[in-house]
Amino acid sequence: MTSALPRRSAALQAVLGAATAVADPSAPAKKAAARATARTTAPAPVPPRSTAPAGIVVPKAPAARSVDAAYAPRAALGGTTPPVPVARPPRYKAVRPVAPRAVSGGTTSTAAALLLARRATWGATPEVVDAITSMGASAWVEAQLAPKTIPDPVVDDLVKTQFPRLAWQTWEVHDRYWPDQTGDLGYDTVEAYLARAIWSKRQLLEVMVDFWSNHLVVTAPWGETWDCVHRFHEDVVRKNALGRYADMLVAAAMHPAMLAQLDNESSSKRAPNENFGRELLELHTVGVTGGYVESDIRTSALVLTGMSTESESGEYFYRHIRHHTGQVGLLGWSSANTSARGEAVGVSYLQHLARHPSTARRLATKLAVRFVSDTPPSTLVDTLAQVYLANDTAIAPVLRALFASTEFAESAGRKTKRPLERIVSVARALGVRPGADTRDWLGDLSWYSRVAGQAPLAWPAPNGYPDVAAAWAGAGATLAGWNFAMHQGWSATDTTEKRVTYPALRGLLPTTLPSTHGAAVDALATRLLSAPLSAAKRDAVCAFVGKTAATPLKSTDSLVGWRLPYVVALVLDTPEFATR
Amino acid sequence: MTATTTCGCPEGVAAMAPSRRALLAGASALGAAGATLALAGPAEAMTRLTFADAGYTGDTLVVLSFRGGIDGLSVVAPVGDPSYYTARPSIAIPQSRGLKLDARFALHPALAPLLPLYTSGKLAVVHAVGQPNPTRSHFTDMDEMERAAPGSSLRTGWLDRMVGATATPGPFAGTTMGSTTAPRSFLGDLTADLAMRSVDSFTLSGAWDAAETTRWTTALRALHEGPADQVTTPARTALDALSTAATLQTAGYTPANGAVYPNGGLADALKDTARLVKAGVGLRAVSIDSGNWDMHTDLGSSTGGWMFSQLSEVGKALAAFMTDLGAAADRVTLVTMSEFGRRVTENGSGGVDHGYGNFSFVLGGGVNGGSVYGTWPGLAPDQTQAGDLKATTDYRSVLAEVLEKRCRLTASTVLPGAPTTRLGLLKQKA
Repeated sequence: MTSALPRRSAALQAVLGAATAVADPSAPAKKAAARATARTTAPAPVPPRSTAPAGIVVPKAPAARSVDAAYAPRAALGGTTPPVPVARPPRYKAVRPVAPRAVSGGTTSTAAALLLARRATWGATPEVVDAITSMGASAWVEAQLAPKTIPDPVVDDLVKTQFPRLAWQTWEVHDRYWPDQTGDLGYDTVEAYLARAIWSKRQLLEVMVDFWSNHLVVTAPWGETWDCVHRFHEDVVRKNALGRYADMLVAAAMHPAMLAQLDNESSSKRAPNENFGRELLELHTVGVTGGYVESDIRTSALVLTGMSTESESGEYFYRHIRHHTGQVGLLGWSSANTSARGEAVGVSYLQHLARHPSTARRLATKLAVRFVSDTPPSTLVDTLAQVYLANDTAIAPVLRALFASTEFAESAGRKTKRPLERIVSVARALGVRPGADTRDWLGDLSWYSRVAGQAPLAWPAPNGYPDVAAAWAGAGATLAGWNFAMHQGWSATDTTEKRVTYPALRGLLPTTLPSTHGAAVDALATRLLSAPLSAAKRDAVCAFVGKTAATPLKSTDSLVGWRLPYVVALVLDTPEFATR
Repeated sequence: MTATTTCGCPEGVAAMAPSRRALLAGASALGAAGATLALAGPAEAMTRLTFADAGYTGDTLVVLSFRGGIDGLSVVAPVGDPSYYTARPSIAIPQSRGLKLDARFALHPALAPLLPLYTSGKLAVVHAVGQPNPTRSHFTDMDEMERAAPGSSLRTGWLDRMVGATATPGPFAGTTMGSTTAPRSFLGDLTADLAMRSVDSFTLSGAWDAAETTRWTTALRALHEGPADQVTTPARTALDALSTAATLQTAGYTPANGAVYPNGGLADALKDTARLVKAGVGLRAVSIDSGNWDMHTDLGSSTGGWMFSQLSEVGKALAAFMTDLGAAADRVTLVTMSEFGRRVTENGSGGVDHGYGNFSFVLGGGVNGGSVYGTWPGLAPDQTQAGDLKATTDYRSVLAEVLEKRCRLTASTVLPGAPTTRLGLLKQKA
């Protein structure tokens, strides 16, 4: 950084706690601090309904937990500008693949619809499965690939009313807040991301936004990009998520958020900073086995010199005085590069990388891992890479080919939900709707996802959250998923919860009460998992309320009374729900 | 995965010490046992919780990973090497500010709390450490460092193999502290991936008393029956560990010997590690991460800034950890790792780009401390490897010595193909 830019948002400062005390916090900072502190306390569970039998102990609220500083995007600093930390190594090789869990209890088309719903959305719901079944899978995919044709009034309205600042340009944010920096747009970006994942009708777009956010990584909230992270999300990721990768890559490289994230803004011909030059090759394009050598890293960095930011507005600015001139070349691309006004040379280099066969293979592999299997078949990867190159880096044809492939059709049970997918899909399965203070509730969700290890956009390293189950096999992540389901069960029966609307849990069961406990559990599983559980598991759920499957069900039984939130949580704790 | 219960005994630890087994006899389920214990008084609970780890008599090995490539030339500065000052006009540690370790090296001033540990022989430093085939990629280098089997097709992580080489590991044998997910080093089938943000947060919502705990754990076990896979295994591990965690939570924890931990995730994880070591829950390998070391810009100076701020926390946290452990430090060896060091020459942003050779700390009661080990290659341009500090010691030599002398294991079973050279860093465990 060349200017005395403000360093970190007050809210972030607050999350980090006393260790990084803010000198004389302003009123907005105090408000942010209060907000952050509130976030560190899990919402208290709600006592069981008054219909609980006498002698039932009311659950105690969990003790307040502070968000580990380690989870905060960056450490506190006096007057320095650290770039992004690296947190956790990726784990590429699953040692033991997940045993396929066949979807049972449906026709082939239902099973296929369920598979597509689980993979191409943030969580299957009866509505989505029905839509795929009635339209047919390919027509549904086609509609999803043209998101502008799908009305999305709930989300449009929510974003407009709850997140108006997302529409501001970087210079406007800068102009409004600099230098007090209380306006870190990172929180808006994260909470809007969650809102869209849960409620958008354009589900495939949102899934791809998540994919690209973990490919061209800009961490949020992160202080450093307080003024522009939301624009990166809108103008780079969302705009191009179903478009051409070459366009997205160029847009990313010429965006202040990426230039800050990977330090190219301070790179110059005299002292090139290699960070962006390296990660562009290793992560964004050809990959670590893409054929470049160590000396190419420096060349890559030199080509990109000049792409920087303007300190007064925070916007992208090409500093030709910093651009390295002279013959450059790597990976089959070269340029005489004679002019200091070398922006076009950089763009030509980026487009060459986007169209490189190694990039095609890397993206094809990542897409296959996202949608098909942790260890995808090479036949599929080959096909997708060919489609990508044949369509000049357009993404939609690749997805079309992927969802139509035999490899996809045969991949049921091969993917496991990551913690964030688990959290969002619980909210979708329960049918939560926006309410009086949706934004505050989304803040809670962001907190839960942080506890579970996958807060949206919070991965601090430039490679994005890992996408294989082996990387998420820590017992703590599973426990956090179970606890989230329980808290949602409590929230659904909490009459004081006005921020969002939880449909009555009783509505998850047929209007006419099933005649036995077993039938009720079957109905609940069919509604929440799109298929009944095995007999043994059904019996285990019945035993949870002290009954057998054959026990007749009365409206006064705890299964459909005060224990219903617990039973719903238990059904959401199953491996069946954890499967994508 | 060996920790899954088939006997239905609490904890799923088939090899618990007889006294503990007897203690829990008659408890019909994990939750009931845990909750019964939890209802006992704190002192009694702690007494009961302390049991011998019958399958293992070696040290608890704590691996602290500095993620992002920590700059070893700032942490253990070669203040006696003139090339250091030539290469780093704005970020080098001045001789007057460094904490002298020997004629060549000085500790970063922010690490002052570690100096007494060095002087008293509890801390050893190794410099110019690295792995055989560096790529300067965070991800490739971390992956390879934690697989620790270059040139082989092994896919497991080295800590998974380490715990797997011990007899009858329980659910806490391989624990990741400070995160809900385990690192690459624990990848594999040999060890349950117990990963927790903290001991106190490891709770099951809804299980508010003994009866409810039994109700939940019975149901969750039934729902996760079947072959071990990446859904059922972590679920069973969580269930296996819950009752011990509950007992510890009831007992509470106060650091011993007046230890004062600083704020922050690293200190919290070390404090919980000390707590688990003293409680005797069967810790054998512990992984802790410390992030935010990728300092391409504005690294700062010896008096303040990014590096100073982060190292201050590291120094205070490690010193508190050793104080808190007290005599138990004789059963603990902590090793630091990082995927690579940084370039010798600073860049134009006041930072340092990805490099190669680096330092490692070895800390604990069985360490031959008070020395900087290794062969110093020098920092003059012709002494470097393409502008980076060379690695003259294979990092696996350090790990192998810990495994042999402190963990009582055969290093080659955990680190196939590791070099046979040893630096003499550690005392043979009696």
